[in-house]
Amino acid sequence: MPVVTAVLALEIFLTGAASGSLGALLGLGGGVFLVPLLNLVFGFPFTVAAAISLTTVIATSSSVSAGRTGQQLINLKLGMLLEVATAAGSFLGGITAQFVAQSLLQKLFGVVAAGVAVVMMTRLQRRNVILDPNVDPGVLGGRFYEAESRAVVTYQVKRLPLAVVASFLAGNVSSLLGIGGGIIKVPILNAWCGIPLRAAAATSAFMIGVTATAGAVIYYGRGQLEPALAAAAVLGVQVGSWGGMRFGASASAKWLKVLMAAVLFIVAAMMFMRGGR
Amino acid sequence: MSTDRDSAADPRAPSLEHAIGFVLRAGVLASSACLAAGLVLSLVVGEQGAALFLLHAGVILLLITPVARVIVSIAQFASVRDWTFTGLTVIVLIELMASAVAALLFNKRL
Repeated sequence: MPVVTAVLALEIFLTGAASGSLGALLGLGGGVFLVPLLNLVFGFPFTVAAAISLTTVIATSSSVSAGRTGQQLINLKLGMLLEVATAAGSFLGGITAQFVAQSLLQKLFGVVAAGVAVVMMTRLQRRNVILDPNVDPGVLGGRFYEAESRAVVTYQVKRLPLAVVASFLAGNVSSLLGIGGGIIKVPILNAWCGIPLRAAAATSAFMIGVTATAGAVIYYGRGQLEPALAAAAVLGVQVGSWGGMRFGASASAKWLKVLMAAVLFIVAAMMFMRGGR
Repeated sequence: MSTDRDSAADPRAPSLEHAIGFVLRAGVLASSACLAAGLVLSLVVGEQGAALFLLHAGVILLLITPVARVIVSIAQFASVRDWTFTGLTVIVLIELMASAVAALLFNKRL
């Protein structure tokens, strides 16, 4: 464990702030940036980086979701149904992380991230929303007011089994790699399950608190979580995600998709590099 | 086109959202306060005593917040007799408990 000096704490705080603002902007959770930075730049062992990142994921999920309640953007029922799958995946991933060499999984993650990025880029113009507010969203669908088009957006959930499988995978990758898992869920929920990007991102951000907790608890029990570093990162990410959220509210969905796809390609390359060693 | 967003919405959803929002906000504020105080104190006196206690309290509060949110959801779903979602949310709670048990087992190096 690294010795926590005031300088290191400040560096971790600023790294957290940068990761948190980017994460909030993209609905990814910030771990996608934090884990590679802590692991590659600060040189922390991967499990230590993942443990710190998971605590920031929980904090981001809680604060972002608390701020969004009342907007009906978070699909609570769908989120809680899919949490059954993400928590199971995360539990198994957290245990697996203690025993398995991660290079193969990182390469696999690179393939998945790149694949999802391609899907995002090819579906930029797609609007999978029903603007007629009289349409029945069903038990799992939802409706929310979109300020951009000044209308109530209604959507139904399609291909639920795919959403469940994606959520299990996302939970697994979450606790193995220390990220929220939104990187897997959000594009799939948006591209194939009929959920508008905003609602998919909000629902995912809501779910990853439970997902990351199932993994973080295991790292914490194993003694891989340095609490002072987690504190610096959590506080930094809180500040950063607050800033990112304010900016994200005015960004267009198309612009968000392009940015998210670019981020996915970068993450894929990083995972390949790490997995190749 | 109607812009009244509540007319056809699930009447249960607002109270559940409200309760969840309260739990999440309270959890984040409490854990952030402990972590901030613990971090500052640990930089002054080192990671020991009260500093270490505050840091661990902050981490535990952070980890408990999503669990509390799940418990509140179970109570809300049960109160409107939505047994499908009560059951699903109970499964989520059991999974979180399984992680805690795994953590305790790892902690004892079993």
